[in-house]
Amino acid sequence: MKAETVSGSFGQLFDTKKVNGVGLFAGGLTVLLVLMVGVPLLMVILMSLRTGFPGEGGPLTLANFMAVYSSPGTYKVLLNTLLFAAGTVLVTISFAVPLVWLLMRTDLPLKGTIYVLMTVGILIPVFLRTIAWILLLSPRIGLVNQWAAQLFGLDRPLVSLYNIPGMAFIQGVSFVPSAFFMLAAAYRTMDPSLEEAAYTSGVSKFQTFLRINVPITWPAIAGVMVYLFMSAIAVFEVPAIIGFPARILVLSALIFTSTNPPTGLPDYGLAGAYGAVMLVAGLTLAYFYVRLVQQGKKYTVITGRGYRPRQIALGRWKWAALAFVMLYLSMEVFIPFLVLLWASLLPYLQLPSAEALAQISLNNYETIFDFVDALPFINTAILMLAVPTGTMLLAVLVSWIVVRTQVSFRGSLDTVAFLPHAIPSILLAVGLGYLGLAYRNIFPVYGTIAIIAIAHMISWIAYGTRTTNGVMIQVHRELEEAGKVSGASTSRVLGRIVLPLVAAGIFNSWIWISMLSYREVTMALALGTRKNLVISTIVWQFWGNGWVPQVAALGVLLVLFAVLVVGILKIGFSRFGGEFASGN
Amino acid sequence: MGRPTQHSRISIFRYSSTPSLQSSRGYFLISIRGLRKWFDSRRGRVEALRGIDLEVTEKEFCVLLGPSGCGKTTTLRCVAGLERPDAGELEIAGTLANSAAQGIYLPTEKRDIGMVFQSYAIWPHMNVFNNVAFPLIRGRHRIPKDQVAEKVRIALKLVQLDGLEDRPATDLSGGQQQRVAMARAMVTEPKILLMDEPLSNLDARLREQMRVELKKITKAVGVTTLYVTHDQAEALSLGDKVCVMYDGAILQMAPPNEVYARPASLFVAQFVGEMNFVKGYVTGPSQVECPLGKLSLSVPTGISVASPVTLAIRPEHVKVNSADGMASGLSGNITSKNYLGDAALLEIEINGVTLLAKLAGDSDLAVGQKAMVNLPSHRWHVFP
Repeated sequence: MKAETVSGSFGQLFDTKKVNGVGLFAGGLTVLLVLMVGVPLLMVILMSLRTGFPGEGGPLTLANFMAVYSSPGTYKVLLNTLLFAAGTVLVTISFAVPLVWLLMRTDLPLKGTIYVLMTVGILIPVFLRTIAWILLLSPRIGLVNQWAAQLFGLDRPLVSLYNIPGMAFIQGVSFVPSAFFMLAAAYRTMDPSLEEAAYTSGVSKFQTFLRINVPITWPAIAGVMVYLFMSAIAVFEVPAIIGFPARILVLSALIFTSTNPPTGLPDYGLAGAYGAVMLVAGLTLAYFYVRLVQQGKKYTVITGRGYRPRQIALGRWKWAALAFVMLYLSMEVFIPFLVLLWASLLPYLQLPSAEALAQISLNNYETIFDFVDALPFINTAILMLAVPTGTMLLAVLVSWIVVRTQVSFRGSLDTVAFLPHAIPSILLAVGLGYLGLAYRNIFPVYGTIAIIAIAHMISWIAYGTRTTNGVMIQVHRELEEAGKVSGASTSRVLGRIVLPLVAAGIFNSWIWISMLSYREVTMALALGTRKNLVISTIVWQFWGNGWVPQVAALGVLLVLFAVLVVGILKIGFSRFGGEFASGN
Repeated sequence: MGRPTQHSRISIFRYSSTPSLQSSRGYFLISIRGLRKWFDSRRGRVEALRGIDLEVTEKEFCVLLGPSGCGKTTTLRCVAGLERPDAGELEIAGTLANSAAQGIYLPTEKRDIGMVFQSYAIWPHMNVFNNVAFPLIRGRHRIPKDQVAEKVRIALKLVQLDGLEDRPATDLSGGQQQRVAMARAMVTEPKILLMDEPLSNLDARLREQMRVELKKITKAVGVTTLYVTHDQAEALSLGDKVCVMYDGAILQMAPPNEVYARPASLFVAQFVGEMNFVKGYVTGPSQVECPLGKLSLSVPTGISVASPVTLAIRPEHVKVNSADGMASGLSGNITSKNYLGDAALLEIEINGVTLLAKLAGDSDLAVGQKAMVNLPSHRWHVFP
């Protein structure tokens, strides 16, 4: 009897200790994440309230806000930002919604190829696509305008990209793949018999579309629209490459030039004041986004068996539909790549002609190292390995706590990990930069590749935890428990049951984050110095110097390498992990 | 019975027979001839329906019963027009709705049907009233606005949901969604009601309750019903006619008592109800030898002497008595007893064969006892 009570209390003690251990660990992780996400934001607010150089101290002041909001130029910039963002959303949605419908519901041919090409579309960095389109549509050097001048003897350019619609067009096209994959995921959870129930009620196809399909899909579409708007307010690449020369400024461009002025001294105070607006807008939109996603979830009904909806036969519209998809893919993938390829093979940009063909050579590729040394390549490699590894490590730990433990604040941990979705990357970078400059002694990473890696990790922890949450939920707790009940130790259960089941999903996200880090330019630029250049910032510099053939050559290599890496890994991956990976 | 008048359409939930059909196609409201459907998959062509012939008369409750993948849902979806058959013809209420040969296909929305889906398919962005009113406002049977509310009220009363008109669809329980789906399918008074496993998402108790109610409602209204299920108890209790399907074909089409009492094939015997199976072979015109000994039974014509057969007998037809010397029959050992309250299931081993016997109420027999078993020869089924 006595022994029993002793062992009982021992067991209890052990249990509470264990819970405390997990709780302590979870607490530590939460603090780390709060610091990672919160400190850069705090820095943005702090810099908006200070004047002078980072680290100079001085009293807090509202002078920056007064300067910013009393200037009429600011309102012009805000208007530009809104118009650019709205235009972008319009362009993206008008491509993404028909694409989702065509690929998910109809018998469109070549679906597999189209999926692959959309993935390639994500891998082409936005700044390269923008540059390619400039080479095509710039009023001065653009191939289309050169050609039009030759053909019709026009004295004015035929089309120009240097305006808000042009910017919205490029940015909108670039957003299509992510919007497509978000909408497709929402679409998959919708019950096709909702539509069939309308048909069997004698409702026509058109009325069904109007009264059933549209209202049911609306929360998903609206959610994606809000998300896109939020992203469009924060993007930097298109506004910088097209907007700067055209003197069309938006918020992100202003924040960047305040901290990295072409001439004069950086003014972090102004950047902070502009950033505060962007931050408030971003967080407000994020709130609406979460609300809409929740509403959309309410609309997804648990279906009986997964009866796959009948594919709608396109009939003679098949070719028109395929032409639409090809038009989109041309704008997203083919045209940018071909223009870059063409420009990379010539000594200077010119229209296709016999003369031009005679000049084609690989010279620009062979002489690349006359323009750049090995350091940016090493730095990029460091990012491609360190960023996904660090991010996924954090993500797995966070998800394990959120999905698998009963820690009371696991919900808050999940929210903190999701927050970076709503934080514009330019702000994150500027905030981190300010931290590195002002608190050099406790955060001595300014000007190193580490600060870019940290910025990237913070930025993609949201994406990482979304996938690891999904993966962990898929591995039902009972699978783990069944292992324990059959007598396997905790480590054996983790190694033999959990790990093999989650490895495929984690590896998948690892590759993606590696690729995102590889092509990222905004944060790398905002935090860039001469010592931590990466390939993407080198291309940017080349463009700034006007070295078009070198930009094109490096750009082509950049895209080919990404496609090759993802292609090889995906193929190798499907060989031995296909059945697990198919779920993702 | 007079000619159908305009009034008979308006009369709510009181179906009058339509004599005009009688002359052309008898009373058949659904008539399916040689229906075939195939899917092209990576592994080649898969035949989902291998030639279905089916006729459902007016006011009949016809159940398609079979395991998953047997083609029952595909058949139903062909009737609804949600699938297009690759061959064969389909007539609904005397109108040719599908004819692969003539290239005729009547779209779903033009067919005079109502349908209840397995997932209920309640539109989540509407409340109960709007869900039920939608077919009347936007559908084939549009009626004047002032009559909609009354029709919806009657339909909801029929499924006992009156008073819930303003409830959002997302706040309904499974059973309530099921009822809304019923009301929505019947509000236009369609000639034909199609139901695709409507009860399979409900829990066991609610399912039985709804089964009884469903039968009451369809009988009260007199609608012709085609009903798909994999649950044999549901099929037997609901159907006026049960079609047992397997691998894209109908194996037996008969009233439920006949399907139960005289299964047409080994598969039907296995699928519908409990059954004991014993392997044997034919030794004479009416004699089969099996581990239980030589049994005199009527062997169906077409099974020749010496060919192997499977014998089948239902547990409730296995008569068991205690072996007290008076009883005759086969001697066996009771190896298990499963008491169910209203009945007891005994497993009895005879010559290495285990037979299941179902006795009404409880019995004094216990595990380990010897028992005498009688197997009435007219209760045996013989399958090739």
